[in-house]
Amino acid sequence: MTKAKILIVDDDPDLRQALRLRLRANHYETVNAGDGYSAIAQAYKEHPNLIILDLGLPAGDGFVVLERLQHDDKLSTIPVIVLTARDPQSTEKLALQSGAAAFFQKPADNGELLHVIEATLQQAETRGGLPA
Amino acid sequence: MSGLSTHVLLIEDNPGDADLVRLRLVESNPRVEVNCVNRLADGIKSLSENPPALVLLDLNLPDSRGAETFRRVLENAPDVPVVILSGQNDQALAIKALHQGAQDYLVKGGLTSEDLDRAMRYAIERQALLRSLEISRKQQLEFKNRFLSHVSHELRTPLTCIHQYVTILLDGLAGEMTGEQRDHLNTVLRSVNQLGAMVRDLLEAARAESGKIVLEPRCVSIGELIRVAIQMMRAGAGQKGVGLEISVECGLPFVHGDPDRILEVLINLIDNAIKFTPADGAVMVQACRVPTDPDFLCVSVSDTGPGIAPEARALIFERLYQDPNAVDNNRKGLGLGLFIARELIALHGGRIWVASDGASGSTFSFTLPLYSLPKLLFPVIIQQGRLRAAIVLLQIGLRPSAKTARGNWKEACKRVRDLVERCVYLDKDLVLPPMTNPGPDQTLFVVASTDMERSAIMIRRIVEQLKKLEEFKGDGALEVSASEVPLPDNPESVSLEQQVQAVAERVTAMTEAVLAGQKAH
Repeated sequence: MTKAKILIVDDDPDLRQALRLRLRANHYETVNAGDGYSAIAQAYKEHPNLIILDLGLPAGDGFVVLERLQHDDKLSTIPVIVLTARDPQSTEKLALQSGAAAFFQKPADNGELLHVIEATLQQAETRGGLPA
Repeated sequence: MSGLSTHVLLIEDNPGDADLVRLRLVESNPRVEVNCVNRLADGIKSLSENPPALVLLDLNLPDSRGAETFRRVLENAPDVPVVILSGQNDQALAIKALHQGAQDYLVKGGLTSEDLDRAMRYAIERQALLRSLEISRKQQLEFKNRFLSHVSHELRTPLTCIHQYVTILLDGLAGEMTGEQRDHLNTVLRSVNQLGAMVRDLLEAARAESGKIVLEPRCVSIGELIRVAIQMMRAGAGQKGVGLEISVECGLPFVHGDPDRILEVLINLIDNAIKFTPADGAVMVQACRVPTDPDFLCVSVSDTGPGIAPEARALIFERLYQDPNAVDNNRKGLGLGLFIARELIALHGGRIWVASDGASGSTFSFTLPLYSLPKLLFPVIIQQGRLRAAIVLLQIGLRPSAKTARGNWKEACKRVRDLVERCVYLDKDLVLPPMTNPGPDQTLFVVASTDMERSAIMIRRIVEQLKKLEEFKGDGALEVSASEVPLPDNPESVSLEQQVQAVAERVTAMTEAVLAGQKAH
């Protein structure tokens, strides 16, 4: 089985690095983006199996990225997990309605995050096998 | 008022008094415009149609008397200054109105135009001042809450960074560590978690204060919630050598509340109890009925800690309260936890208190309202002292389309509920709280005060609205059907409460049959 590739989108380089270390230790391949614009560019170039998306981003915030992903036939099947410092009461519902598969507030519990990443990847894989 | 034309509404039923006041008004300011009515109902109408700069109000009118008269004016025009016109004998009433927010009062006998002019000027000025104070108070509160929400967001980013790298080191992702290094890092992690909890409390307290917490009540098993809370706190208690015990009365009825919020309160109380209990002590969580009030359940968390002094007990639920005698070497929190707990319980309609005999521990207790279908149904199916002529149970079955897996089905069900609530009349229809129903298939029930024929229109309206949702496009299933709820045969012979009880029992039996049918599939 090939390693699943995860695109990490966060404007804080230290956090990207931390998440990369954590995901690689759990046998995922990772690619990075630091703003909304490069998030879409990387999604096109790298075809990730999953995207971890921060909401507060320069050059198009997380919601803009979510919307662009949703409306792009090539990208709309990639599941997105939102990982943000924002208040869940005001943003969780909106993020899920905008197409996110799951929502985590920072700092997230590592075990829980990894569990949801794995479950989301499996779900996407079974769905990918069926005709849409 | 000189020079300015002022519009005054005079509500006075005695024609002699009205003429006199009008005369004095015109003497003091020829440009004053007086609108005189002799009934409260006309006055209230005029308040909304043509808002005056000031109201001169006689409290005893043909259609309203005493303090009630002022209350109704205030209710209809909270921002308009009111000066009470009082007789010699009813000054006590006028003073009562002052306490309720009237700006001044004048005794009608011997009224001079100077008195009237001065009273009116001051009343208008004071009212304007009060209003600007109120606006600036609201702005300050809003600013404070925005500030807190901004700060807690900005604090989270560096906090997350520390948390991430500490756990990376602890998990050995950057190489092996000595036992001592681990110990130190665990200390860092504990502090980071404490800091995270404080940031969360800050935001939550700000929200509670500005009334922004919205409950999502459902039918909840309190025993289940207590077990979840205990499970979450078990590790922390174990580390400190504190026992965690649970005692839930058998066959407790469900409560009507928001499970996430109740869990938050439970965790808060248990965490506090563990913090103040010495090693080898025990924390006990109990749930039981309230003997004196059959509509509530009582949950309590007892510890074997040092207890709480009586003077502290009165203050303990206030914001930022810190126990001055805390001997625990644990760092204190922000002092917001119990404040938040009190706000959350109050939102549920319950109350929270603490008992302590000062030496052998303390017990925090709170009450929650029982889930009671008759109580929810009563205002809906009883109209003008009679049971409605026909009642129908709508059943809305929901199954997500395959595409929905990407979004969140739980969220979708909430949206369905919101939409359905907008399709019904809230005074005569009741959308039942969600039933515990594992699995993706969900059924929503509505008790509607209508007959089978008219329920078809309601169904059409609901289906039309729900079909607009993404989740039901394609293969998403949506089944809406109605069944008649049999009404008691001879309603006149039993009390209204008993009639509602009978309807509630039938509705319960019908919903249970539907849900049991689903489980069997």
